[in-house]
Amino acid sequence: MKKEGLGSRAFDVVNVLIMLFILVVVLYPILNIVATSLSSARYISAGSVTIWPKGFSTQAYTTVFQDPYIFKGYLNSILYAAGSTGIMLLFTALMAYPLTIPGFAAKKFLTIFLMVTMFFGGGLIPTYLLMRNLHLLDTIWVMILPGAISAYNVFLFRTFFMNIPSELKDSAYIDGANDMVVLFRIVLPLSKALFATFALFGLVGSWNSWFEALIYLRDQDKYPLQMVLRNYLFTLDTTAIQGRVGGGSVAINAPGSALDPKAVRMSVIIITMFPIMCIYPFFQKHFNQGIFVGSVKG
Amino acid sequence: MATRSRAAAQGGEATRSRAAAQLLRHRYLYLMVLPGFLTVLIFNYFPMYGILIAFKDFNASKGIWGSEWVGLKYFESFFHDPMALRVLKNTLLLGLYTLFWSFPAPIILALLLNELKHKGFKKLVQTVSYFPHFISVVIVAGMLKEFTARDGLFNHILAFFGGSPVMFLLESDYFRTIFISSGIWQGIGFGTIIYLAALSGIDPTLYDVAEVDGAGRWKKIVHVTWPSLRPTTTILLIFALGGVLGTDFQKIILLYSPETYEVADVIGSYVYRQGILGAQYEYTTAIGLFMSLISFAILYATNWASRKFSETSLF
Repeated sequence: MKKEGLGSRAFDVVNVLIMLFILVVVLYPILNIVATSLSSARYISAGSVTIWPKGFSTQAYTTVFQDPYIFKGYLNSILYAAGSTGIMLLFTALMAYPLTIPGFAAKKFLTIFLMVTMFFGGGLIPTYLLMRNLHLLDTIWVMILPGAISAYNVFLFRTFFMNIPSELKDSAYIDGANDMVVLFRIVLPLSKALFATFALFGLVGSWNSWFEALIYLRDQDKYPLQMVLRNYLFTLDTTAIQGRVGGGSVAINAPGSALDPKAVRMSVIIITMFPIMCIYPFFQKHFNQGIFVGSVKG
Repeated sequence: MATRSRAAAQGGEATRSRAAAQLLRHRYLYLMVLPGFLTVLIFNYFPMYGILIAFKDFNASKGIWGSEWVGLKYFESFFHDPMALRVLKNTLLLGLYTLFWSFPAPIILALLLNELKHKGFKKLVQTVSYFPHFISVVIVAGMLKEFTARDGLFNHILAFFGGSPVMFLLESDYFRTIFISSGIWQGIGFGTIIYLAALSGIDPTLYDVAEVDGAGRWKKIVHVTWPSLRPTTTILLIFALGGVLGTDFQKIILLYSPETYEVADVIGSYVYRQGILGAQYEYTTAIGLFMSLISFAILYATNWASRKFSETSLF
């Protein structure tokens, strides 16, 4: 067809090389963590583990699962993620739908009320003091309620709802349905794609969050998995980990032991990341829907 | 006069009853917005009211309103704080480095992805490069700690080339590089989505026309592809400039240590340390307010400049 210049072909080659570099840089650390978590101490301390387990061993995992905080962390994280995402979807839908109704008197006020929060906020300390004054510290509510409404989300929901053909809604209204019925029976069933996208991103965001837990939770029994992980990676030493997994009966890093503390830490990373890896394939079709593009275009 | 006031009274009554009728008709709508309205009021607006403690000597038993006014005392103490200059400088530098390195990275990657001929390969690179965005900051910081450790990946590579081991996280020379490059690692792929969406909206005939006009590949990128990315880039740049002082201090408080405070301590981490851990609530609220005012001023100025020079703006 059209002839391609030498420069153009050289560019293609370089471009593919850059892409291969990106693939390696992204994948190598992740595969290395998986491999380390499944390798035995001898190879880890020699630094010979790359992207494939050496001296295959699942001992790190069986050890870590003896730590009750891992299990509690999992349950707490699931609870916080499901709770905050559920409340976020419900409150956002309830808030967004009235903003689509022509003649709803509070529409303008609510729009400004929400818009202000996009530019102004109280900041870290006043928010912390508020939670303390409301006695929300160390409760589940501080983990699932405060982020329920984001102005961006409400405006995206509103735009989505407005694009639903009004004939469907109108006929329901004529049949005598009230606003609540129309929202739950007509509008929401037509918004499954919207809900799926926001549910996925909500779950992941909540699963990955840790800072709220750091400042609002003191009780270790309420820690989400990310906080347990943070302790494993940054604060607990080998002795402390041994104390948590079976009262010191497990030898980590002892001479001749098959278990390296690094494998323990890496296994906790994988345990924490596992649900994200499972859910990731479901994101694929949402990337190109442009639902988030609208948030920037306004 | 009398008739007019009677008419006005009747009119007022009519308006009032119309309003009442509308209130009744829309009662479900008011009920629906109530939960969201209350959460925003409580969790977004109450903290704004709480900012008042920046101007007071906060006494928990007297409450925010009852505490004594002290004017700008805490703002003054910030200007006299020997740490202030350090955290301001670190915040600004990390923000500018992020702007310089992390902001253009996804644009360049999007342009390169757009030039890939093999669609399957393009999809593979996208799928893989988006993934780090979904990894939590704790994991990213933990990975950095492991890989930069004495027996970690980076030191193995160094040793391979004959270098002596470096404790990367304990030396301030490396902190900014580690912070910025890990940010790019995490964000470059996902950041392309918005640009690729803009690219997919380009009318293919534009390329054909450019080709007829004798444009080569480079010319097409410069004259067709890039112009279509410009509005998106402008909007995101305004946001990025507005957020230039809002460093991701979560990663910082995971990674820094007294050895690296000198370059790593930013406004966010300082407020966290002095406020949450040190209970200096008024002082840190004042710092927070001061920084948000500056951030808003930057956002406003950028937006103004953008509206003036490129006709793209947020508001």
